[in-house]
Amino acid sequence: MSDADPLLDIANLRVAFHTPTGVVHAVRGLSFTLGRERLGIVGESGSGKSMTGRAILDLIPYPGVVTADRMNYRGQDLLTMDRTARRKLRGRRMSMVLQDPKFSLNPVATVGNQIAEAYRVHQKASRSEARERSLAMLEAVQIREPARVYDLYPHEVSGGMGQRVMIAMMLIAEPDILIADEPTSALDVTVQLQVLKILDDLVTSRGMGLIFISHDLHLVRSFCDRVIVMYGGKAMETMPAAELADPASMSRRHPYTLGLLDCLPELERPKAQLATLTRDPEWLR
Amino acid sequence: MSVRPAIVVAHLDVHFGASHVVRDVSFHVREGESYGIVGESGSGKSTVLRVLAGLNQAWSGRIEISGAEQPKRRDKAFHRAVQMVFQDPYGSLHPKKTVDDTLAEPLTIHGIGGAEARIARALSDVGLPSSFRFRYPSQLSGGQRQRVAIARALVLEPSVLLLDEPTSALDVSIQAEVLNLLQALRAERRLTYILVSHNLAVVAHMCERLMVMQHGQAVEEMQAATLTARTPATEYARQLLVASEGFKRGVG
Repeated sequence: MSDADPLLDIANLRVAFHTPTGVVHAVRGLSFTLGRERLGIVGESGSGKSMTGRAILDLIPYPGVVTADRMNYRGQDLLTMDRTARRKLRGRRMSMVLQDPKFSLNPVATVGNQIAEAYRVHQKASRSEARERSLAMLEAVQIREPARVYDLYPHEVSGGMGQRVMIAMMLIAEPDILIADEPTSALDVTVQLQVLKILDDLVTSRGMGLIFISHDLHLVRSFCDRVIVMYGGKAMETMPAAELADPASMSRRHPYTLGLLDCLPELERPKAQLATLTRDPEWLR
Repeated sequence: MSVRPAIVVAHLDVHFGASHVVRDVSFHVREGESYGIVGESGSGKSTVLRVLAGLNQAWSGRIEISGAEQPKRRDKAFHRAVQMVFQDPYGSLHPKKTVDDTLAEPLTIHGIGGAEARIARALSDVGLPSSFRFRYPSQLSGGQRQRVAIARALVLEPSVLLLDEPTSALDVSIQAEVLNLLQALRAERRLTYILVSHNLAVVAHMCERLMVMQHGQAVEEMQAATLTARTPATEYARQLLVASEGFKRGVG
């Protein structure tokens, strides 16, 4: 298989929740491919961006139902694959970094043991081997004293460090696809950039495909190669991230994308009043 | 002479046990001014606001509101003049009280009559229809809840609003609506604001002057124009500005 083939090929992805009060459509017909690139998915709360990430990993909880016309991972059909096979892919071939390390790490296990566990689940390795790999991984995410941090519990590490631990844990099995769901939203701006830098270096050097889910259009346009803007479970548009930073291309942008950009206060262009977003029901047709 | 200061904070120190979280912070805010406090988590910015609001009594230093020095335990008149809006509208509204109950409570506490009219006015001030009066917070969106929280602060007709990250829990489009509302209310009623935020663009948009805090200390006080011109004097403030520009490949 050549590098040019997409890692993921998804057509008409739908996620629906069948509740007693009716069906809630979280994702309505999303199609995209992912290569060895950084793909951003941007949207406001309720736009379906997180559900898209979860659907790829088969992590949609009951009563959610995922359907699609096509959902391929490197030529393998994810739709017909049984749960055991999907589970094997998860963590080994595709994994996910969540928003808040405070709630995503096991509070009663040391961070080192959690990383080692992630390794041993996917690779046949002895305890000492797993420990060594975990220490190397902690170093790869630029934790200064890996041996000391290995024995710390999640409450003893800072938010930025906790997020690096999560990244270490997700990357230790060397997956092809990493889905990062708001990986830096809980962090301070300066720490945020350090974590992004680490993520960027690892993704680039290992040739992974990254799906970066965020509500922050500015961050995504500076970090990703391509951007999908979602609203109400649908893709409003997909574009190269560089175009989002280019004022000349603004005339071609979807009104929702423009609206999102307009309503942000900006340091460079002080505005007397912020624009508010008018939503057109036509967008969801 | 310029307008008298609405708020004076001098040599404020706060300890939480052994940690010294606010160190010798002094500033003043003029009447009708909007003053920003920015910093990263743990910088002590919210603690300063909580001390001002009277929610923290373990401080030393001097605090004056409208010329009157404030004791550790504030009186009712203080709370009538100074109100606070918190970060998370999902946490700051009582889930089992209707909007009407929420807005009526401060009036009952202060023994203010004419609740009907005042509640109706507070709701219309924040742009909520009167039909929302008997809803519960769970029946409101995040932006609507934050409007209720602002209405609760306004119902006593205070002169000072303390705003602790009032929009960071909201989507950007809702943030724009709430910030516009706060701007309009300030112009209409000559309110004095202190806005705490980690978002430099929001502070530059809302405030005339601001203070940058780090590790409990005031690093730099500046005009908002200094921020937009990107010419702060201190290294830390410049670092925050660079970080707010987003990700840059190949540097750092």
